[in-house]
Amino acid sequence: MALFQLTARLQPGKGENLRTQYSAFSRNPLSSPPAYARFAGAPLKIHKICNPWRSPTGSLPALRTKDEGSCSQPSQIIIQLRKQKYNADFDLSAKEGADMLAFISLLEERLLPALIYALWIDPKNYVEVTRRWHGENMSFPLNFFQPGRMQNRQLERLRLIRGNSSLEAGEEAEKELYHDALECLNLLSQRLGSNKFFFGDSPSSLDAYVFGHLAPLIKIRLPNCQLQQNLKNLDNLNTFCCNILSLYFPSESKEGVNRPMSSTQQGSDFDNEPYKRRKQLLSVLVAVAAMLSYALFTGIVAIEHVQEGEPIGPASLRGPSHEEEED
Amino acid sequence: MSLAAEAFVSQIAAAEPWPENATLYQPLKEDQILLSDSASSLAVQTFLRMCGLPVLVSCRANAEYMSPSGKVPFIHVGNQVVSELGPIVQFTKAKGHSLSDGLDDVQRAEMKAYMELVNNMLLTAELYIQWCDDHTATEISRPRYSSPYSWPLNHILAYQKQWEVRRKMNAIGWSGKSLEQVYEDVSQCCQALSQRLGTQPYFFSKQPTELDALVFGHLFTILTTQLTNDELAEKVKSYTNLLSFCHRIEQTYFKEHERESQSGSSRHSKGSLP
Repeated sequence: MALFQLTARLQPGKGENLRTQYSAFSRNPLSSPPAYARFAGAPLKIHKICNPWRSPTGSLPALRTKDEGSCSQPSQIIIQLRKQKYNADFDLSAKEGADMLAFISLLEERLLPALIYALWIDPKNYVEVTRRWHGENMSFPLNFFQPGRMQNRQLERLRLIRGNSSLEAGEEAEKELYHDALECLNLLSQRLGSNKFFFGDSPSSLDAYVFGHLAPLIKIRLPNCQLQQNLKNLDNLNTFCCNILSLYFPSESKEGVNRPMSSTQQGSDFDNEPYKRRKQLLSVLVAVAAMLSYALFTGIVAIEHVQEGEPIGPASLRGPSHEEEED
Repeated sequence: MSLAAEAFVSQIAAAEPWPENATLYQPLKEDQILLSDSASSLAVQTFLRMCGLPVLVSCRANAEYMSPSGKVPFIHVGNQVVSELGPIVQFTKAKGHSLSDGLDDVQRAEMKAYMELVNNMLLTAELYIQWCDDHTATEISRPRYSSPYSWPLNHILAYQKQWEVRRKMNAIGWSGKSLEQVYEDVSQCCQALSQRLGTQPYFFSKQPTELDALVFGHLFTILTTQLTNDELAEKVKSYTNLLSFCHRIEQTYFKEHERESQSGSSRHSKGSLP
């Protein structure tokens, strides 16, 4: 089984903190499948790629299994993993299973719209964090228009989810969405109490969903997000996320520390190799084409139509005289 | 409603008691109303009855357009117009009537979560079956939705509504689902509700709350509405405690109106529970 997820290209010296945080928790449901997979102990091969078109389904995250093909929706991915007998919800009672469904619905109705707003619609966050990250990690020429398209799609999605077709980035929408999200966070905090996980001592898919939704809020430093401040006040949710990070994603929680040291040592040219070569080739071609066209237009080089049978002499000497004769 | 408007409405609401002439508006019962709107409307009516607040039900063809948020049902109380169950619950709370005061924090969290579950799964499934299943849309939804209007407006409005619902399904990821998967989701939702209810009379032991009203509204409507096939009703019927829950609420809160509803039952609705 292989799991494809979005990640950053290694580029030395460009806003490393930003990138390391964002790469680990880029899109909210993104982290639910890998988290669930780790909870259930599924042996997954994780492919980190930058270009969504390279994934088997055309979007990320995506899971590919030998028998069942590929799927992209987080809930589908979790169902697939369960079919392969990697089930983190085995020990749950019937009532706990029911509660889990209910809280997942709560998350999707209340918290997800606010997350979409904070990451994609809020102008400051979008320009400084989201668009910059996506632009840096996409190849030319996609990085110019793809983030804009993604933003439009997210705005559309937000409008449809909230049923409000005139929703725009602004204080009113922000207040409403954050108010609902804060209520949801408070409810989650009350439900979690002082337990380690939502249901007992071992994590379940609800923990994966909650982690997937909360991790971006906790880890990505957004310049304009009231919700982040409010979340910092809910200690038990913070502890919950840090716990899961340290237990199940130790490599990624250390990335932020090690990256500044190792990137200068590693030849990151190797990772850049395909794009760098392509860029070089492209720029050389463009330069040659520009020079050729300039030469042609100003007459330094002239292309002659020579009829068959006539002697073809050196173009630079005979060129003008041939033309005179034909005229 | 925006936050500022909500605060304003709550302030005004708190000032006046509940009037006698409060009215609830919904689309025409016999010819126009669809499954999802009927369920929402019944949920609100049940909630108001549980609170002991009188309300007159008025059926209008343009109820959807009169509503401030575009969704039915909505109530007209004194000077205010409030639509959808969530805001109506808050409105009645501002007037001093609440069903969930006796719950502690964890229970309130669970209640809100289960209400979201019903909205997320049951309501979305109802919308899907009505508008995204071609057979149902052609046979039932489009004719009913457009019945008050003349040609060509009826076609335009029906297709517009269908297109709008399909876009929403697309946005939330339901457009890739088949009808069987949707029935499966409904079954899962009912199983969750059934397990939460257990053997108790109401979801939170002895007293009904808005969650009970919402669940009753949806389940009763599903059980008593005739669609192109009975599969949806069958899914609900397989959970006996949910059936007895619906019976109990019908007996307790609607029994004095049972005779009226039976005499006024239409082709679309089967009246009382089987």
